[in-house]
Amino acid sequence: MKVSRRLFLGDAAALAALMAGGCAAPNGAADAAHGKAGPLEDADGMATDAVMARRMYLDICGRIPTVEESIRYEQSKDPAKREHLIDALLASRGFADYWSMRYCDILRVKSEFPINLWPNAVYVYHRRIRDFVKTDEPWSHFATALLCTEGSNFRVPEANFLRASAKRTPEGLSEVASLTFLGRATDEYADYFRRVSYKGTREWKEEIVWVEPGEGPSPADFAALLGGRLEDDFAATPVRRVLHWIFGEPKEGFVRPDEKALVKTFRDGGYRLKPLLRAVLLSDAYARGSVTGGFPRRRLDAEVLDDALYDIAGGLRDYQSIAPEPFTFLPPERRSILIEDGSIANAFLLLFGRPARDSGEMSERDNAVTAKQRLYLFNSGKLYERLARMTQRPEVQRKKPAERVNYLYRRFLSRGPSADERKTALSANLAPKDLAWCLLNTREFLYRC
Amino acid sequence: MKPAKSVIEIWLWGGPCQLETFDPKPDAGVDYNNGLGAIPTASKDMEIHEWLPKLAACADLFSVVRSMTHPHFGHETATYLMQTGRNPGGGETYPAIGAMLSMMKADQYHGDLPPFVILTQAKGRFSEVGFLGEKWAPLVTGGNPLAPRFIVDGIVPPGGLTHEQVDARFAALARIDGSAAHDEFDEAGEAARKVISGSAAKTFDLTLEPAKVRDRYGRTLIGQSCLAARRLVEYGVPYITINVPGWDSHKRHFETMKRKTADMDQAVSALLEDLKEKKLLDTTVVWMSGEFGRKPKIDREAPWNGGRNHWCRCFSALLAGGGFRGGCVVGKSNATTDGVAERPVSPVDFLGSICEMCGVDPDGPLPNPKGLKMSVLPKASEAGRLREIYA
Repeated sequence: MKVSRRLFLGDAAALAALMAGGCAAPNGAADAAHGKAGPLEDADGMATDAVMARRMYLDICGRIPTVEESIRYEQSKDPAKREHLIDALLASRGFADYWSMRYCDILRVKSEFPINLWPNAVYVYHRRIRDFVKTDEPWSHFATALLCTEGSNFRVPEANFLRASAKRTPEGLSEVASLTFLGRATDEYADYFRRVSYKGTREWKEEIVWVEPGEGPSPADFAALLGGRLEDDFAATPVRRVLHWIFGEPKEGFVRPDEKALVKTFRDGGYRLKPLLRAVLLSDAYARGSVTGGFPRRRLDAEVLDDALYDIAGGLRDYQSIAPEPFTFLPPERRSILIEDGSIANAFLLLFGRPARDSGEMSERDNAVTAKQRLYLFNSGKLYERLARMTQRPEVQRKKPAERVNYLYRRFLSRGPSADERKTALSANLAPKDLAWCLLNTREFLYRC
Repeated sequence: MKPAKSVIEIWLWGGPCQLETFDPKPDAGVDYNNGLGAIPTASKDMEIHEWLPKLAACADLFSVVRSMTHPHFGHETATYLMQTGRNPGGGETYPAIGAMLSMMKADQYHGDLPPFVILTQAKGRFSEVGFLGEKWAPLVTGGNPLAPRFIVDGIVPPGGLTHEQVDARFAALARIDGSAAHDEFDEAGEAARKVISGSAAKTFDLTLEPAKVRDRYGRTLIGQSCLAARRLVEYGVPYITINVPGWDSHKRHFETMKRKTADMDQAVSALLEDLKEKKLLDTTVVWMSGEFGRKPKIDREAPWNGGRNHWCRCFSALLAGGGFRGGCVVGKSNATTDGVAERPVSPVDFLGSICEMCGVDPDGPLPNPKGLKMSVLPKASEAGRLREIYA
């Protein structure tokens, strides 16, 4: 484990040596391996190493690999390099950052309308969720904590689960709890939430969540059901979510890993996310190519795309949000996947379909590609300025034309260009910023392929 | 009567005071009106605040509702109700009227710009598009219409590139990203290129307007936004929202309002007259309101020092064009405007009336990607929609 982490997460001397070799695919290997499908997959419809590296960084950490990371993976001769990279990334901070964003979506972490947790609660709740992901806490344990904890929602993070609902009635809480733990919103468990009460305090917007003493079932009894007669759905829901997050909706011509087997893996692993995710990422299906191999593409999440543009082009990001009050200003280097509060938004994130975190439904995240998004990527003045500035950096300017093409391909698409692509790029005689513009506007950049 | 083709929504963000706009109370006393008065208008049935002389002169073009009322004192819940016609709560986040109407009128619109455009910032407290999905989300222009060039990020190629240079870049892109597939990525790209190469981009080029016209609207954010909105109406865009910030005057209310009403008076009167001259007013609904009004009794003590806080029980809104009659006053407030005296108008009736003018049945089904069964708006209240000012 230690060895592989060093291998992939990098030391400076080794990096410099790698970079000296240029950014092209090693020894034209990729060119030789190209099937009809082009540079993304081999003749058997399997994704190339470079595509796999980008895929894993995006799916596990929500970011594109750096130039160094991408070359390092492609050049590694370790036969178990895929497994090693998965383990290294699952153990990294980036995994906790990215996957806590996903869980904050379904747990509705948002300070203002219609959830109204208010900032204090958002931050304690987000931290608790991130700890759940980071320590790989069993989902069963976390679920019990969310359902059985009483107290101030500013001080006791788990109390926010019963607080974070647009509809704070027994029926509304039943819908939220069943959606979160069973994957379907239904009010049939309302009886378990009739005794849940809220009590204001003298602190602005703070509320105590508590269960009134008395007869009848409580949320703790609902939690017990999750380990009892509802266990099948309780164990299958996280598996379905992971399959959705990685592969999207089932589609023809692509066989996803078997759900039943994964549920068994999940149970055997003690309801932990990492063993489940590891099994999915090591499956044969996950290594298919996306051109002829049927592997489903996914447009990069709004936050991930924002971070990728910052990683590549640096520059200004406009983080002003009128909600929550007082207005929020974030420094440009702040990663979007780490924004705790679903109420903090900017025009970019809204344009690219970031979820509102109103309902906890996964369909809230909209990864469709629209004309408005493409207009932005084609034409945004701010973005173009950032690209121009990026291509004026010494590491781009000092390169010879062919090497510059290699570098820009590697930076945007996490792979070297094929011989044809290099020829095309060179013959078009494009200024570096125009080539950067072209690469930014390719399908390959905008999607996880 | 043919249904209206376009709607211009002028959203006075934060809640404008009814007293210093369309419901002055010259006899209410200095604790309410600060010693300010009303002026007669072109309509014998209407007096408005003395700070709106230009609107007074064209009052035959618009009507005023003085009995808007709802129960929400907070910005976000009040905005939600005024925009969606629904009370907050429940599992769903509904779309704003702009998203609903532009979606339902999209099949009669053949332009390249999205059917819903917001000048210049989104409201930001909730998603305008609700559960309708990104496809029906507004184009939010950003930029500054007051600048020598109103740059709508994304519409005009950056960096002063010529058409030839832009074409060359797209040609290079086609060679680099050659794909046989024709999918949502290509469809979106083609729609985007139509905007770039067609006449859509010119819509935002306010330099094409004579200086005299730009001056007429006022060289202010609201003025130039109204001018841009008129150009968007000419282009055919079904729904345009102008979000005008700065009406949340808890403190220094009168200084703020004097300035803001002057800008608004000039911009909105110019817009209505210009639409009328261009024969567009009959097919364009113009409505103006905030999420609520302001407290009738002035808060003179610290920390407000002459401010007005939120007030939702009774406030005013403006309606014009698109089949609404002008020169009328709907409803009546009580002596100070702290309550409705006659004919309460709830947000759902107000929005329902706009829908009817656009040929959209507010009780009809609202198509939605979730397949939920729902009507465009909830049922009208007992008092009903504003039939008394339907032409």
